[in-house]
Amino acid sequence: MSKTLLVIQREYLTRVRKPSFWILTIVVPILIAGLYAIPIVLASKPIEHANVLVADETGLFESEFRSVREVTYLGAGSLDFAKRQMEQSDTIDAIVYVPRTETMLPTNAYLYYRSDLPSVAVQTDVEAQLQEILRNRILIDIHGITPDEYAMLTSTRMTLRTQDIETGRDGFLKVKMAVGGLLALLVFMAVFLFSSQVMRGVMEEKSSRIVEVIVSSVKPFQLMMGKVVGIGLVGLTQFVLWVMLSGAALGGLRLAHADLFDQALKNRNLTEIATKGSDATAQMAAAQLDEARYQAGEGADKSVLELIEGLSSINFGLLAALFLFYFVVGYLLYASLFAAVGSLVDSETDSQQFTIPVTIPLVLCILLMPAMIQEPSGTLSVWLSVIPFTSPVAMLLRIPFGVKIGQLVLSMVLLLAAFPCCIWAASKIYRNGILHYGRKLTWKDLAHFLKVRK
Amino acid sequence: MLQIENITKTYGTFRALDNVSLSVRPGTVFGLIGPNGAGKSTLIRIINHIIAPDSGRLLFDGRPMTDADVEQIGYLPEERGLYKKMRVGDQAVYLARLKGLDKGEAERRLHEWFRRFDIDDWWNRRVEELSKGMQQKVQFVVTVLHAPRLLIFDEPFSGFDPVNADLLKREMLRLKAQGATIIFSTHNMASAEELCDDIVLINRSQVVLSGSLPALLAAHPGKGLERIFIDTVTQNH
Repeated sequence: MSKTLLVIQREYLTRVRKPSFWILTIVVPILIAGLYAIPIVLASKPIEHANVLVADETGLFESEFRSVREVTYLGAGSLDFAKRQMEQSDTIDAIVYVPRTETMLPTNAYLYYRSDLPSVAVQTDVEAQLQEILRNRILIDIHGITPDEYAMLTSTRMTLRTQDIETGRDGFLKVKMAVGGLLALLVFMAVFLFSSQVMRGVMEEKSSRIVEVIVSSVKPFQLMMGKVVGIGLVGLTQFVLWVMLSGAALGGLRLAHADLFDQALKNRNLTEIATKGSDATAQMAAAQLDEARYQAGEGADKSVLELIEGLSSINFGLLAALFLFYFVVGYLLYASLFAAVGSLVDSETDSQQFTIPVTIPLVLCILLMPAMIQEPSGTLSVWLSVIPFTSPVAMLLRIPFGVKIGQLVLSMVLLLAAFPCCIWAASKIYRNGILHYGRKLTWKDLAHFLKVRK
Repeated sequence: MLQIENITKTYGTFRALDNVSLSVRPGTVFGLIGPNGAGKSTLIRIINHIIAPDSGRLLFDGRPMTDADVEQIGYLPEERGLYKKMRVGDQAVYLARLKGLDKGEAERRLHEWFRRFDIDDWWNRRVEELSKGMQQKVQFVVTVLHAPRLLIFDEPFSGFDPVNADLLKREMLRLKAQGATIIFSTHNMASAEELCDDIVLINRSQVVLSGSLPALLAAHPGKGLERIFIDTVTQNH
């Protein structure tokens, strides 16, 4: 077995055998499944119900309150009566009290409760109904609008949907923002996590003084690359396990909530027919789609449906392939630099001086993420996604929004060109750094290391 | 066995080795002595191809030394250690495989050596549980395990108690008797006098004294190696 392979094998096995590896492997899919599960759980949560007494001194509201799923409204006449009712009965949860006003329209109402604050849903409904009833009164009683006209006025509903004019795909901007942001964060964390493991590994070898024993058997370059590749394979193993476990977790969710997923898929198919089919079928599909979405819009399921619909509109195969590419090459680039940094220092606290410059590009990407998400095809985003040190994070952020193929190719080529340069420079520094003990190294030494032949 | 011809090495403006030449005869113990910072470790690293000289050349068995010849060397560095979290046996097998032994052969030889050094019970322990002396024993075993023709020991006795140092000396002489050539670098003049056939004294990057030990002692009547060392180095300043 070649010596580099032996180094790779050791680096890989010692890490994969650690419990921390398996903990991380299990936690991440749970988080990903959580991303899907939280809206579903919120939507399917049993509704809490409250009984609310209405004590209205203005006479404008009492008869107009409409009971809904969450709240049953009961007229109570006076506040005193309502209070007595609440004292006597456990089933009354709150009292809405609108005090009398002499000359002007009422502006304040009170929600009295006993010990347990009514839920946000109840408070929201009470407030919404108060406002609606008041507006209703103004329109009908003061401006003379008929109930029919009023119904028309209040039933308007406009939803803004973004759509690519060429592919006809729905924009799902919010979902893409979330996916892009998540991908960028994920690749940032993965590159950072595994690169710093390389750095710590190099420092361990240096501070335990084993490095000279090893480099008398293998070339420093073989040792460095063995470590980089071995730890990279640990990262890939974790990635593959994450994909598999997340897939299993999502599959489980899908089975448990088949109705929601089915509706989302049906909607997506309708979207495609609506934009690609002939005029007649397209119109029909569009109408069906609107109907489906409108109905969904009645309940809290709307946002869930949109999320699932949006997620299924993204090409996850392409996404995974590009993630893999940017993770692997980005990792090789940064891991070699971190290996060089590790070789320069004796202890982790000393490493700051050299780690900070190496991590600045990555951290910059994360800091600029909000700006890039706002304008995924803006100047800043395009530049950052092409420059090799920032492209792994910046490009993954942009991919869900769609990237011009030329930019993608340029970004990949530049990254592929940059990584041998980094490895070359890193290996020069590493070779000299690992055997240097005692005096703290400076930037001047570093420049010298790059010049030394061997 | 090994000839070093006109080796020079500089780090920036600092000249670590200045036109150093020496010759190591096969089957002997060659003492490399000198004060701290004289250039001994640099020379040893050059022999191991860990660093390259600026000029000069190395001959191994009379021909220019190649990377493949490094496989014939067993090197115990002065700055030495082990992976603290790894198990003793796994680690020793790993280091032996890096030297080109296959797994089965490495295990067989290791158990044999470990029994002789009385550390076989520690095979499955983590290195951090071992005393420093035991770690040194493991390092020594790993250095000689692949039966190298040239052994380089840099301060091999540091960290050993007298009993174990004696064990090590006997092992070194046994390896010599089996035909190995040994380069032995130390500050301990008593053990150098005890073990060495030839001596080279390096001071301030240059060879200042060389020859066979009996000849050196004869040339400085009434002085031990330690006195010769101190006198030469202080004169040299």
